[in-house]
Amino acid sequence: MRTLLARSAVLAATAAVLAGCGLGGGGTSGGEVKATGEVKGEVSLQTWALKPKFTDYVQGVIDAFQQKYPGTTVKWLDQPGDGYADKVLSQAASGELPDVVNLPPDMALPLAKQQMLLDIAANDDKLRTDYVKGGVSAYEFAGRPGAYAYPWYLNTDVNYWNADLLTQHGLDPKKLPTSVDDLIAQARVMKERSGGQMYLMSRKPELGDLANAGVKLLSDDGKKFTFNTPEAAAVLDKYRAAFAEGLMPRDVLTDKYLGNSELFKKQQVAWTTGGGNTINSIKVDNPTLATKIVPSAAFGTPPLYVQGLSVSQKSKNLPTALALARFVTSPENQAAFAKLVPGIFPSTTASASDPAFSQSDGTNAGDAKVLAFQALAKAELLQPPVVSEAMGDYIKQQISLAINGEISSKEALDRAVAKCDELLKS
Amino acid sequence: MRAHRWFTPWLLVLPALVWLAVFNLWPSLNTVVLSFTNAKPLGGGTFVGTANFERLLTDDQLADALLNSIVYMLVCLPLLTVVPLLLAVLVEKRLPGITFFRTSFYSPVIASAVVVALIWNWLLEDRGAVNGLAQQLGLVSGPVPFLTDRWLLIFSAIGLTVWKGLGYYMVIYLSALGNVSRELHEAAAVDGAGPVRRFLSVTVPGVRNTMLLVSVLITVSALRVFSELYVLTNGTGGPGGRDMSVVMLIQMYSRGFTGHLGYASALSILLFVVTLGPMLLLLRLNRKGADA
Repeated sequence: MRTLLARSAVLAATAAVLAGCGLGGGGTSGGEVKATGEVKGEVSLQTWALKPKFTDYVQGVIDAFQQKYPGTTVKWLDQPGDGYADKVLSQAASGELPDVVNLPPDMALPLAKQQMLLDIAANDDKLRTDYVKGGVSAYEFAGRPGAYAYPWYLNTDVNYWNADLLTQHGLDPKKLPTSVDDLIAQARVMKERSGGQMYLMSRKPELGDLANAGVKLLSDDGKKFTFNTPEAAAVLDKYRAAFAEGLMPRDVLTDKYLGNSELFKKQQVAWTTGGGNTINSIKVDNPTLATKIVPSAAFGTPPLYVQGLSVSQKSKNLPTALALARFVTSPENQAAFAKLVPGIFPSTTASASDPAFSQSDGTNAGDAKVLAFQALAKAELLQPPVVSEAMGDYIKQQISLAINGEISSKEALDRAVAKCDELLKS
Repeated sequence: MRAHRWFTPWLLVLPALVWLAVFNLWPSLNTVVLSFTNAKPLGGGTFVGTANFERLLTDDQLADALLNSIVYMLVCLPLLTVVPLLLAVLVEKRLPGITFFRTSFYSPVIASAVVVALIWNWLLEDRGAVNGLAQQLGLVSGPVPFLTDRWLLIFSAIGLTVWKGLGYYMVIYLSALGNVSRELHEAAAVDGAGPVRRFLSVTVPGVRNTMLLVSVLITVSALRVFSELYVLTNGTGGPGGRDMSVVMLIQMYSRGFTGHLGYASALSILLFVVTLGPMLLLLRLNRKGADA
């Protein structure tokens, strides 16, 4: 009898949990939402790790907005750098997403899919003309029409070379590699001349390298991955051969050196990639190294790193939220912000000819800034936002197996595509 | 004196019951429920039957993760059950300066697992202190791939776990040794038993129950290993992800905006079952030993 009672209690509790979970639901519906009406009332703005360094700037923008639109009040929330994704996730899950929120594309995608973000393209005719194409397209998601943020600030990668190390090991800083093939050839020279003590390369390829080689990563409808092609395998094969030849440290298999920036700072590798402000950052840690660095344009298509301001579709004050997002990302406010924060660039077309970004002061740091700014014109989001963290991990692991020679490059890519497709469907 | 009301005991245990229900029972039941859905952090999820459990059977990473967790347990269990007991016997003696050794053995326990793993990382990496020293002494010609070879990485992590756990289990044994009858030791000595014989015939039976407790604790923590492997592999799970534990796999699938909570829950249930097996076996062995 007691056993029966206990079993009944467990069944009842399970039923209660099942009921509480609301199984069977999860679909979303609804059409295009228009943010029309008067700009007034209170809205919230959430930024990511801008306090206290940029408090004055952000507060100044908020004050200017409130002055331009009398009767509006902006409540500014700034979240710490760590755990931002978790914070936004909990806000979204509890229906408390701020009216205007800073989101990179990978965070915006799942929220847009759940119809939590306003389609900016449907509400602002000038989005596609006033903002650079790459910035807008970063917030356009396959299978979901529209664009889900105003692009805010942009960045990309530039190649950085240690001229001293190149010269010491038989390479010419005036004949820098311009392709992966060049890079591998010069890495071979460096290994031979240094007796295997110095590396030029210290990172393994990633999904972005496949995209850079012209490999199509995702089908047009966004429902299948397509990067298991012979061309993609050929890219991995190049790195695989370079690894077998000892042109990279073994630690690349576990991403030990944060790409290669850490070893570059320690002057243990002669090449790294970084944003337009990398030389100024290195000056802080290693001033003597900073003077030896020569920047050059990234190989192929440069990667685009973008931050945007999205508007919560559930905002109770959509017109004001939309106006605030537009105001914060306006050409004037973006240009002022980019001049304040070295290494980031405005996403507005109006800033394309701003000499502050397009002209070097003659230093290597100034040259790097200009190279980065010029690269933005052709920079692209190399990794689709639909690649989740689990997918990204699995892809890296398979590439690692291929580079280590444990499986063939094609097999690694086939496995990665199969797993990513499975995760995409589930 | 007033008679006790029937609900008085229930009132006394109510706070504990509420705590258990909210933080143990509810999450456990929820995990079971989620394992039958395709739930994501931003979606309620729909019922998918046993699909998540069927996926376990074809997951190539899971086979590696299970093997790693089991190897971890099989190596840690004897080492952390026996070595701390030997250490406890050594430091139990009241000798001048013995406190220094007790403190030294215990100090890794109070250090954060992540900090300790980072230090080991610096020691064991290709250009780390251990490889540098070994190469300078001419013991090896090139760096030993402690952190980039599948099995060397697992054994490096086991070394870290054992080093960090020795002091903790030593303290548990120290308290148990205090209860072992001194008269039995003296009687055995009078009968001509040497130190080894006394250890095997008096000390070990005297701390038998503590050894069982320690074994169970080690089994559970070894099967759930995470921090050591995570930090030593830089979060990648080692070359090709072949050094992941089951908990790392759960973390990989559950995190982020698009976390696969259904599959991660199925993995959690599998880990629970896998952990339960060795624990029941240990309890059964102990019962048999006690009956004998």
